Formats: sequence, C-alpha cells, structure tokens
Amino acid sequence: MKLFSETFTLLENSLNYTTAKNRSISNNIANVDTPGYKVKDVVFKQVLDGEMNNLEAKRTNSRHFPFTNEANSPYTTVTKQGTTYNHNGNNVDIDKEMNELAKNQILYQALVDRMGGKFRSLENVLKGGN
Amino acid sequence: MSIFHAINTSASALTAQRLRMDIASSNIANANSTRATINENGEWEPYRRKMVVFEPKDNSFQSFLNTAANRPSTPGQGVEVSAIVEDEEPFKQMYNPAHPDANDNGYVLLPNVNPLQEMVDLMSATRSHEANVTAINATKGMLMKALEIGK
Repeated sequence: MKLFSETFTLLENSLNYTTAKNRSISNNIANVDTPGYKVKDVVFKQVLDGEMNNLEAKRTNSRHFPFTNEANSPYTTVTKQGTTYNHNGNNVDIDKEMNELAKNQILYQALVDRMGGKFRSLENVLKGGN
Repeated sequence: MSIFHAINTSASALTAQRLRMDIASSNIANANSTRATINENGEWEPYRRKMVVFEPKDNSFQSFLNTAANRPSTPGQGVEVSAIVEDEEPFKQMYNPAHPDANDNGYVLLPNVNPLQEMVDLMSATRSHEANVTAINATKGMLMKALEIGK
C-alpha cells in the first residue's frame, strides 16, 4: 500500500496548472496596452491532442530531449489568435482576465486546503488517532 | 522557473504604466512650451508630444524556438517599453504677434499636445496600473497560501 495516495499527485498537478495559469493571466494583464499582443491561455493537453500529434513527430526517438521543459506536464500554453478587441490588434479582455484571476486564486486556495487536509488525515493515522 | 515569475511579470507592467503616466504628465506640463529644442537652423522649436511604445517582454530562447517551430508559446515575462517616440503631427499655430517667439507673420508655433488626449491616456494608465496591483495581490495571496501546505 502506498503511503501517499494518487490524490497527492493529482493535487500537485492541479497546483502546477493553477500556477501556470496565474502566470499567463498576469502576463495578459501586464500586456493590456501592448499593440498587437494576443491573449495566452493555459489548457490541458488532451484538449489539444489533435494539434499536438504532429509536434511529437519532430522527436525521432522517445529518449531525445523534448524542445520544451514543459513537455512532460499535462498542460500547455496556447495563444488565441484571430480576435481583436482593440484597434491596435490587442485582444486582451480585461474584465475576463480579472475574473479568471479571481477564479484561479480561489481554486488554488481550495487545492491547498485539500492538500493540507490530506496531510492532516495522514498525520492522524500515523499517530493512531491520539 | 521562479515562483515569483508572475509577480515579476506584473511588476514590469507597473514600471511601464508608471513611465506612461510620467510621459503623459510631461506632455501636459509642456503643453505651452515654445522653446524645447533647437533645430538645424538654430531656431527654437516647440515641444513635441512624446509617446511610449509597449512591447511584450518575451525574449527567452524558448519563446523564439517555439515561434520558429510553430509550437505552443510560453507565458512570457511581462511588458517593456521599447521606445519613447515623438509625435510627428504638425505644430499648432496661433496668431499672437506680441509673443517673443512669433514669426514674421505674427504666428506662434505651439506644441502638438492635446491635453484632453493626455488626460484620457493618464486615466487609462491609472486603470491598468490598478489592474496589475490586483494581479500582484492575487499572486501574493496564492504564494502565502502555498506556505500553509503541511501546516
């Protein structure tokens, strides 16, 4: 029996995801006045599977180092092309970004709470309930 | 990857927006300056309106490689001011023969600054600055919360 259940790995992955999302939201807000800037978003790779397949082909051997150090993580950053909210080619929707920021922050806190809860219950078991 | 990456990103935007406010303030302050620079003919020229040029700060090797290979991009490192450019709009002219800088026809050249436009720019910069402060506080809250893991 494993001491640390898979829930820890899941929580860890989700925390990494929310951290990456926070980075990209911060970057979008930072570039709200930059001409030509396009919004970046963090998405799980499964969503992109169709598009990602051709990228894997660039590695001729699975033991080759991937081009990005994030290649092993379950999420990736994409740029949203095609839309424009501003006459200078910028497509940052500041209201949406601020909402995403708040949502992401709450999700992160919930994940940390849950992780703390897991550690506490583990501690409880180790102490035999004393 | 630093855990303070997101804060650095937002901080770069605070710097950039503050510079934008400084430039707008400078434009308003010099809205009536008729002697700003001396041109090739040795004559005084009025102040020219200045503008900041923003550019995404994304100059890592990783991001260039991703662009070249058509791969998903990296989140980027914020924003930077790549240049301060001068507005090439013609100067305003005002008939005022008594002015010391009036030309032979009695016209004075005034800076190409539109105070209304500068005020709008100033408001926009203030709002963007506030949005970035909120982003920093959010990131700070997340980092502080992360320290509670295992407590």
